[in-house]
Amino acid sequence: MSAGHEAKISAAGVSVFYGEKQALFDVSIDIPARQVMAFIGPSGCGKSTFLRCINRMNDTIDICRVTGTIAIDGADIYDPKIDPVLLRARVGMVFQKPNPFPKSIYDNIAYGPRIHGVAKAGSQMDEIVETSLRRAGLWNEVKDRLREPGTGLSGGQQQRLCIARAIAVNPDVILMDEPCSALDPIATAKVEELIDELRERYTIVIVTHSMQQAARVSQKAAFFHLGNLIEVDDTERMFTNPRDQRTQDYITGRFG
Amino acid sequence: MSATSLLAIVLILSLIGYFWGRASAAGLKRGGQGMHSIPAYHGYFIALSCGIPSFLLVLIWLATQNTVIDTLLIAGLPAHITDGVETSRMSLILSEIKSIAGGRIFGTPDPALIAAAERYNALRGTASLAMVVSALAVAIAAMSYARSRVSPEFRARNSVDGILRWILIVCSILAILTTLGIILSLVIESMAFFSRVPVFEFLFGMEWSPQIAMRADQVASSGAFGAVPVFWGTIFISAIAMFVALPVGLFSAIYLVEYADKRVRSFVKPLLEILAGIPTIVYGFFAILTVAPFIRDLGTSMGLSVASNSALAAGGVMGIMLIPFISSFADDAISAVPQSMRDGAYALGATKAETVRQVLLPAALPGIVGGVLLAVSRAIGETMIVVMAAGLMAKLTANPLEGVTTVTVQIVTLLIGDTEFDSPKTLAAFGLGLVLFITTLALNIVALQVVKRYRERYE
Ligand SMILES: Nc1ncnc2c1ncn2[C@@H]1O[C@H](COP(=O)(O)OP(=O)(O)O)[C@@H](O)[C@H]1O
Ligand SMILES: [Mg+2]
Repeated sequence: MSAGHEAKISAAGVSVFYGEKQALFDVSIDIPARQVMAFIGPSGCGKSTFLRCINRMNDTIDICRVTGTIAIDGADIYDPKIDPVLLRARVGMVFQKPNPFPKSIYDNIAYGPRIHGVAKAGSQMDEIVETSLRRAGLWNEVKDRLREPGTGLSGGQQQRLCIARAIAVNPDVILMDEPCSALDPIATAKVEELIDELRERYTIVIVTHSMQQAARVSQKAAFFHLGNLIEVDDTERMFTNPRDQRTQDYITGRFG
Repeated sequence: MSATSLLAIVLILSLIGYFWGRASAAGLKRGGQGMHSIPAYHGYFIALSCGIPSFLLVLIWLATQNTVIDTLLIAGLPAHITDGVETSRMSLILSEIKSIAGGRIFGTPDPALIAAAERYNALRGTASLAMVVSALAVAIAAMSYARSRVSPEFRARNSVDGILRWILIVCSILAILTTLGIILSLVIESMAFFSRVPVFEFLFGMEWSPQIAMRADQVASSGAFGAVPVFWGTIFISAIAMFVALPVGLFSAIYLVEYADKRVRSFVKPLLEILAGIPTIVYGFFAILTVAPFIRDLGTSMGLSVASNSALAAGGVMGIMLIPFISSFADDAISAVPQSMRDGAYALGATKAETVRQVLLPAALPGIVGGVLLAVSRAIGETMIVVMAAGLMAKLTANPLEGVTTVTVQIVTLLIGDTEFDSPKTLAAFGLGLVLFITTLALNIVALQVVKRYRERYE
């Protein structure tokens, strides 16, 4: 770990099974606070699976079983006392394909605060909506059309709307699963810029297929291969001087 | 020769044509010719060319033969019989001639009629012979013409395609024409009804007692054809049915899609489908033999008076019938909401119930509404259950324990027994039928539109 950053998330011996099939093998990793950590690796290597362990989204898949421990701020999130519903308010998630609800832009943002009782309707809610949209860099584009459906926005705007929606419940951690893979280059650049700004307030974990993106947005990188975590390092060091042969092969494009 | 055996012969001729065409084309091919179409298509071409025209000829012949013979018969009758006779009397004369011709002679008929009967038999004999001869002639002529076209260049494959296209077009036109015919007859009979009872009185009148309005002088004065109580009965029973079917169907769909695991789902879904396959008359039995007595006993024990054919029993059982209908539509609609919507809600920390209520149901609403509208239209048109379990007396009541009658029940009772087709009583059935038809048609159109728009949204 580089100096000055305590571990926000710390996983120890995490294995994941889909029915009989093991998808993740004994993964241990520390994810530092207020930085961007990129998960890279060939598809099917378990990046999304591990990401979904961090907000217990895997609980929604019947056949999925998780062993090992993951602690956020030192508290085990798989402790039976932890309510996964509340956990997910602290650990937001943004998906591969933008998935705004078929509701108005305003209601998309207000949805989280409403169900968690953070704010009632009215000026308090208006404020949360505005702050979230501003942080997601979307406010100026949508401030005159908050009552229009969120599904009417462009792909890139939709994805930033989803980020704003996640921010609205005031999380510590934001998980992003290939957030730009459905976007064009310009929209991608905007989202990457946004990620860089969000790093000030949030701990961010991003799964990405693109080496360039990992290099642009992340400070730390973790390389997964066939369900194993191969190496974790500063992004720059990993890309210039990987320790493992498989990492080297992947980064130089020999497979993936 | 009967028409059936004639058609059998035409069929055999077609078969022969098929083998003939195939064999001749195969011969050409063996002779080293490059054929446009494979031999079988030449066979099909000959078979179709030979069979279809003579088949149509026979059909048209059978349809027109009687009218033609009747006209000829009447034209041949001596003046002392036909003079000054109106149409209805003439048809009586014709049927007398035909029964004489069939050997059923009563009393001593006019010798002119006996002569006519003989002519009738002769005409029929000639007609049937002419039909056989012309049908076979057409078949054979068409076959040899088609055979003459068999050649290497002949595009039998495309021609067969063209013929098949025409067959398909004709069939769909037939379907449309039948529908139009049904609508037309409904409209015409309704017109006849509305010329006796004003539309306004029918649609807005509060008094319905068609059985006593048998005499013409009673109709207008008594106002017996005010259909509001009948419409009310239909609306009331349908509402009760939806009151049962909507929550049960919707909730079971939600359970099946969102909560049940695969094993439960694979067990419950077929069960619901069985419910959908039960004939409505069985539901009718269930209503009168089980549900109605149960409700009556229950009501009596609570000191209420319950009619033996209460709206509650009929509507409740109809509701049970509609459960699988609603549940399968809701199931489809909820399943069609993309998984990413659920993920989005769960990732924000929504519970399962919140996700269902706030995200899935709103997204699935158009599909569910479409299903509900179709179910309402089924409820309105449902006949058997209400004929068995609802009442006959039109009553404007909001008490579900009393009996009410419905549009469909009234149509059935109006048409049973007295079949004098120009009394207002029987014609009223067509008026009711027209209203029923327009209502369900409108509901179906709206429902399908809603469902369609919804489908477009996620594809
Ligand atoms: N819902 C699921 N059910 C069964 N197997 C799954 C499921 N999700 C992922 N897997 C399996 O787990 C492995 C890792 O998948 P995933 O985490 O999606 O990979 P990545 O995101 O790195 O491409 C793959 O072999 C995949 O087939
Ligand atoms: Mg993935």
